[in-house]
Amino acid sequence: MENILPEPLTKELGDRLRGVVGDSWVIVDADRLLAYESDGLTAYRRTPRAVVLPRTTDEVSRVLSILSQEGVPVVPRGAGTGLSGGALADGDAVVVGTARMTDMLALDPANRLARVQPGMINVDLTKAAEPFGLYYAPDPSSQSACTLGGNIAENSGGPHCLKYGVTSRYVTGLTVVTYDGKIVEMGGFGRESGGYDLLGVFVGSEGCFGIATEIEVRLLPKPEGVRTLLAIFDRLGDAGSAVTEIMAEGLLPAALEIIDGPTIRAVEASVFAAGFPTDAEAALVVEFDGIEAGLEADVERAVARCREAGAREVRTADSEEERLALWQGRKKAFGAMGQIASDLLVQDATVPRSQLTDVLERISEIGVRHDLTIANVFHAGDGNLHPNLLFDRSDPEEVARVERASTEIMAVCVEAGGTITGEHGVGLDKRRYMSLVHGPDELDAMRRIKAVFDPLGRMNPGKVLPDAPDSAGAAT
Amino acid sequence: MNPLAELLSERLSKGQVIDGFDTEAWAVCGRVPQAVVFPESEAQVAEVLSLSSEEGWRCVPGGKGSWLHGGQPPQSVDVLLSAERMDDISEYEPADMFIVAEAGTRLDELERRTSECGQWLALDPPGGERGTLGAMLAVGAAGPLQASFGCPRDQVLGATLVTGDGRVLALGGKVVKNVAGFDLLKLVAGSWGTLGMITSVTMRLHPTPASDRSLLFKGAEAEDGAELACRLAQTPLPLAAVELLVPGEGESGGGAPSPLVAVRILESADAADEAERVLSESAGMAPVQRLEGEQSAAIFDNVRAMEDGAELVLRLSLLPSRLPELVEMTSRLSDLYDPNEGWGMRLAAHAHTGVLRVMIAVVSRPDGWVDRAKTVLGVLRRSLEAEGGSLVVSQGPPEIVSAVSAWGELGPAALLTAGIQAAFDPAGILARGGSPQ
Ligand SMILES: Cc1cc2nc3c(=O)[nH]c(=O)nc-3n(C[C@H](O)[C@H](O)[C@H](O)COP(=O)(O)OP(=O)(O)OC[C@H]3O[C@@H](n4cnc5c(N)ncnc54)[C@H](O)[C@@H]3O)c2cc1C
Repeated sequence: MENILPEPLTKELGDRLRGVVGDSWVIVDADRLLAYESDGLTAYRRTPRAVVLPRTTDEVSRVLSILSQEGVPVVPRGAGTGLSGGALADGDAVVVGTARMTDMLALDPANRLARVQPGMINVDLTKAAEPFGLYYAPDPSSQSACTLGGNIAENSGGPHCLKYGVTSRYVTGLTVVTYDGKIVEMGGFGRESGGYDLLGVFVGSEGCFGIATEIEVRLLPKPEGVRTLLAIFDRLGDAGSAVTEIMAEGLLPAALEIIDGPTIRAVEASVFAAGFPTDAEAALVVEFDGIEAGLEADVERAVARCREAGAREVRTADSEEERLALWQGRKKAFGAMGQIASDLLVQDATVPRSQLTDVLERISEIGVRHDLTIANVFHAGDGNLHPNLLFDRSDPEEVARVERASTEIMAVCVEAGGTITGEHGVGLDKRRYMSLVHGPDELDAMRRIKAVFDPLGRMNPGKVLPDAPDSAGAAT
Repeated sequence: MNPLAELLSERLSKGQVIDGFDTEAWAVCGRVPQAVVFPESEAQVAEVLSLSSEEGWRCVPGGKGSWLHGGQPPQSVDVLLSAERMDDISEYEPADMFIVAEAGTRLDELERRTSECGQWLALDPPGGERGTLGAMLAVGAAGPLQASFGCPRDQVLGATLVTGDGRVLALGGKVVKNVAGFDLLKLVAGSWGTLGMITSVTMRLHPTPASDRSLLFKGAEAEDGAELACRLAQTPLPLAAVELLVPGEGESGGGAPSPLVAVRILESADAADEAERVLSESAGMAPVQRLEGEQSAAIFDNVRAMEDGAELVLRLSLLPSRLPELVEMTSRLSDLYDPNEGWGMRLAAHAHTGVLRVMIAVVSRPDGWVDRAKTVLGVLRRSLEAEGGSLVVSQGPPEIVSAVSAWGELGPAALLTAGIQAAFDPAGILARGGSPQ
């Protein structure tokens, strides 16, 4: 996508912002701004007009007051690992980043609560909670880089969300600054309010409603025991049946993850080689956690279901080291693909679990038809697919094929009763697919709610919602 | 028929509208509607609501009418829309663990259907199984199981909402992970019908637990019971629920009522044995009773029924670790009732969330009773709010609820709340009046 260079900030506006956050924290140099021109979805590149890095809620509020007085659009940004282009600044927008807001504000082990600043990295929260036998459950694969603010904006998931649920189940309170600089408190554990669930609708709002500046989350006690097994299959469909059978048993694994043949081969060809047979077509990771005493029986039942479904081999782990080795192929899948292709488009969609096998077959046909390698890594228990399209950005014809294949994949998932994104969000990239899952009335209702939080439409503009039918020619 | 009912029956049919004396059973917090309509499709709901928006008739959506006395009393009610005749289970996919049912579907019917396939809806809201699905979502009702399974907001996958001005919105979907656009479903859960009428709901289901065990521990006094409940909830075990139960003065056979802590474990039998060992150690005593299977479920069904027959139900909350203080504060309510009338005052608390339900059988009505209740509850609410907690008047004599308001003030969030209400209900026919909605 074309990168239009933005209008620089006026000296006067720059000075006012520096007056709030300090001289070092307003970035305007073209070469330093390069670091902010894309997120994890590198197909889109846009340079912001400036980046402002406040330290506190109060500073965020003052920065937004100044920018809103000047009518400058604002784009919140965490670590920039998002995969839908949500943190990109369009046109004349200024990025307000949370990179300096990384403090733990309060840790309350007795009530299993933490209050943090939004720039805290996901895994750092778990590290801080560990001495108390607690952890933060939502674990996106990017957890060592992504921020909790970003997680809230995207309502992020992760492998263990099958049993434990996604981010929205864990956020219990928020301090939010809206575009006009107002500070609003939402939720708060231990309090019942008669208003609407503002917190609930803020989670997943992708930076379009305001900036979360303080976050209160629930922590969980670390499970006493964990058991992991890995089953290798000659057919992807058989791995899918194993998943269905395990769930039909009434078992609730903590995670049920599949990587397919192309992914296995990518992993084995990379420095992350995990010792998978390269002629296999699927590897299924099943993990159980909970009270030690009950785990072995669950594992045995799951192993039996895998074998019945045709697993050629089932591996279990006897030590923590071996357990991590079983996860290796799954965890390093993205990294491995990065090594075999110059560019990677990580798709994201959810389908009802019973449709997995059919949908995967159709995705594979789409790959063949467009002459693309598609490697699947997915949260099978939730039906959350990640077809990864490998390509070379310097080949415009191939880029066009990737586009067409993506559109077809979305249509297939929606047709199967699913949706266009399970955890990566709509951002910039998927606005065009929104009408596949929402009618005009639903989109209109979303627009009205956006307008309640952001009447001027300057908070992360051009994201999530397609242009309103009557606003032809609005910014794209 | 009155003119309003007349107009409605022209739009629907004669058999779908009642007025006059028959509507008394459908009073909303004591406000008797001019007409009750029984739409049979979302199109009919849309028709009634858009007509009402044009005419400025105030509407309240309802289910079978078992909980119309709860929440903030509306200023007046012209039309009550009952979902009673919309009770089809439209889609059930056991393999995908979701069920789609119309709003008027009874929870016991849902339970019957899902249990045939070894699944259940893991929610145990007050009011037992008589309630309807739509109403449960509308009021966001949840019971002890919220400790492990969350509330309706966490388990609803999709819903159809007919807005105040008659737009039919299909929100969410059928899959567990879905971030396609803003999550308007969260607004609908707990909206008390002020955004529109829910006509259909898609819920996530869980496999029926292989084993169900409840352990009852006994504390000497209410506050001791609260401490015990806190301690048990803080063990690092996957407990389905920890509930403190204090019977009323009138049901404890004389003497001070002795509290029970009921712990529910929905793990395998081996894991439950281990949990029982850890819990007993932490409690410093063995449980006074162990209940398995249906008996375990039954004790928690009783918890669901604890609000039955109560004239006043309050929900007090603070952080869970402060449950003992919260229990102690209930002594401030002694002026509001006579312990010798009915069963007196019962308490039930969710130890994991710090919510304490106070149920009073009969409210005393000496001269100036409303003012006194207003003072007592107002002072208590302020002191809880100052500590980050809250006081909700969940149901009660309309005089009290109107005077005290069901919920506390919203502060700066009030503007957003009002904006959201107007976005769904531009004519304001569903707004409940008073603070906050
Ligand atoms: C290798 C890799 C693996 C990944 N795995 C997963 C996974 O398993 N599950 C998953 O769900 N996601 C995954 N992601 C996607 C991404 O990591 C998540 O979406 C993450 O939550 C983004 O966090 P961030 O801090 O990087 O946000 P950014 O990319 O900086 O921003 C994302 C969005 O959040 C908004 N935002 C950021 N901070 C705030 C704030 N404080 N207030 C309001 N809005 C804000 C931005 O405006 C933007 O719209 C993965 C990404 C990569 C690169």
